Amino acid sequence: MTKGDKYLIIFIVVISLISLGFIKNKAINYKEKYVSIQVNGKEYKKIIFDKKIIGKTFPIETEFGYNLIEIGDEKVRVIEASCPDELDVKQGYISKPGEVIVCLPNKLVIEIKGLEEERDVDYISH
Amino acid sequence: MKKMKKIIFLSLLVSVGLALSVIESAMPMPVIVPGAKLGLSNMVILVTLVIFGFKEALIVGILKSLVFTLVTGSISSLFYSLSGAILSCILMFLVYKYFPSIFSLIGVSIFGAVAHNFAQVTIAVIIMNNMKIYSYLPILLLTSLFTGYFVGLASIFIVKNLKKTFNVFF
Repeated sequence: MTKGDKYLIIFIVVISLISLGFIKNKAINYKEKYVSIQVNGKEYKKIIFDKKIIGKTFPIETEFGYNLIEIGDEKVRVIEASCPDELDVKQGYISKPGEVIVCLPNKLVIEIKGLEEERDVDYISH
Repeated sequence: MKKMKKIIFLSLLVSVGLALSVIESAMPMPVIVPGAKLGLSNMVILVTLVIFGFKEALIVGILKSLVFTLVTGSISSLFYSLSGAILSCILMFLVYKYFPSIFSLIGVSIFGAVAHNFAQVTIAVIIMNNMKIYSYLPILLLTSLFTGYFVGLASIFIVKNLKKTFNVFF
């Protein structure tokens, strides 16, 4: 273990912590959020969180495979998958905007997105 | 005769890497980080790089990925493991050749692990067409620090012992 190794380790820890903080920070800025389900890069379904759909499940069946997702209280998870390792099932719930569940074999991305607020023109001053 | 010996040793290294990959995929992970692996087979590439050289390490890495795909049978994972193996091999070679005084094998191995993760996530971004997958990268970098450290530590011991053995043969 040389000095360079130690500096490298410290450098990588700092970089990853900063970028983790950056991702978290970006996620806080949204109030309304929805679930975007993408298959093979295209948006397949959009689910807006609602008290009425808590506990509901949505099957996603495509040519790449089968996944079953469950909507919770402002959170979403995968409960069944046809992929061999089922990493997406083990990952559990995601709830913050920017968080994603990826199922590589089925080409599935489940992403929580923030609804951008529509901005009107505030003031016009002369 | 010497060439034949080299081929046999390289194929032995490939099979060791393959066995390590199979053991690794059967090992349960304590923390669920999607895409995180121990990277034990990186040890084989690193050892080959030190003992034989860059070209041989690249060959071992590529062959290991190809045969591992035949073992598991998932073609989609071929691109991920192949891209990771190639990029980590190139970066480890550059660091090992040009900065041997600054970084020990531990540093070289951490560079390899980081490059491996970066290549895989980039391939995932390209295939899934979604930039958000890069948000996995910071956590993967942190895990690659630990795995890279121990892979490097193990490689130091392997190289120390294997060099003696190879000096007898060559």
